Amino acid sequence: MNYLDKILPFMQLNLWTKVGFLAIDFFFILFLIVAIRQVYAMDAIISGSGNSSAIKLAISILLFIAVSLFLTALVIL
Amino acid sequence: MPDIFIAEPKETAAAPNEPMPLISEDETNANKTPASLIDDRELESPQNPVHLFSAFKKDPDGIDFQDKESDEKIILFIRRSFITNVRWIFFGSLLVILPLFLPILLRFFPNPLPFLPVRFYFFISAFYYLVVATYWYINFISWYFNISLVTDKRVIDINFSNLVYKDVAATKMNLVQDVSFAQIGAIRTFFDYGDVLVQTAGTLDNLIFESAPQPENIVHIVEDLIGKRNELFG
Repeated sequence: MNYLDKILPFMQLNLWTKVGFLAIDFFFILFLIVAIRQVYAMDAIISGSGNSSAIKLAISILLFIAVSLFLTALVIL
Repeated sequence: MPDIFIAEPKETAAAPNEPMPLISEDETNANKTPASLIDDRELESPQNPVHLFSAFKKDPDGIDFQDKESDEKIILFIRRSFITNVRWIFFGSLLVILPLFLPILLRFFPNPLPFLPVRFYFFISAFYYLVVATYWYINFISWYFNISLVTDKRVIDINFSNLVYKDVAATKMNLVQDVSFAQIGAIRTFFDYGDVLVQTAGTLDNLIFESAPQPENIVHIVEDLIGKRNELFG
């Protein structure tokens, strides 16, 4: 009982830290989705102005990493 | 007694009587262009394409935009001068190397976040670098999609900044009344970029090509186009 009294506040703190981190990461993923939509919209307005496939690949990689980080944090933390 | 002051004749690498080739072997190979090397893909590819970091291109190929007419020819492709990106590149680089100084900080503050478990550190640092990479990316595409086009029929200005602001303005060439540029400051003069103002007739908004490279050249080209239009249509 004494041990639980000591550990419980830390566990709750960990939980809130985890939720906070996941929430921030989630909003960041939403931001990246907005970015990817804007990139595709701009590419529809003007194309051939450089290497647009590299631009799209870069944002896709960023989104993939953000989602991976979110899922890993969800499981591990 | 041998004469030690007379040097022996040096052996030359090439025989003196051997004729020297006028063109090197590499040059002769470079001149050979067998028809088999030129395939259809090369013929279809644009002759003067716009590259990822191009800021100024005259008569570019391969560009297509919304509402482009079939007989419309793009004369100029303009982005902001690449030197204008130095600020965010520098700041982004600073953000990348900033965590490297963290051990020095930890020497003075051994446990700055006592409430945070150690396993969070990996996720926070990974998230930090993700944010920095996104910062680079957003700034780059803000430059990349901020494009001005001059065609033989109109002038188009596409403004795009920080994902939230998007504005596409166009004016016909016969409505362009005057074009001028301003190049203020030592840095702008040194790197040859400035703001080009395209004044339109009546109540239409003027177009501004901000920090455009070679502004004098742009003004000359647009003036030529206006002159040609006036000659053709009076």
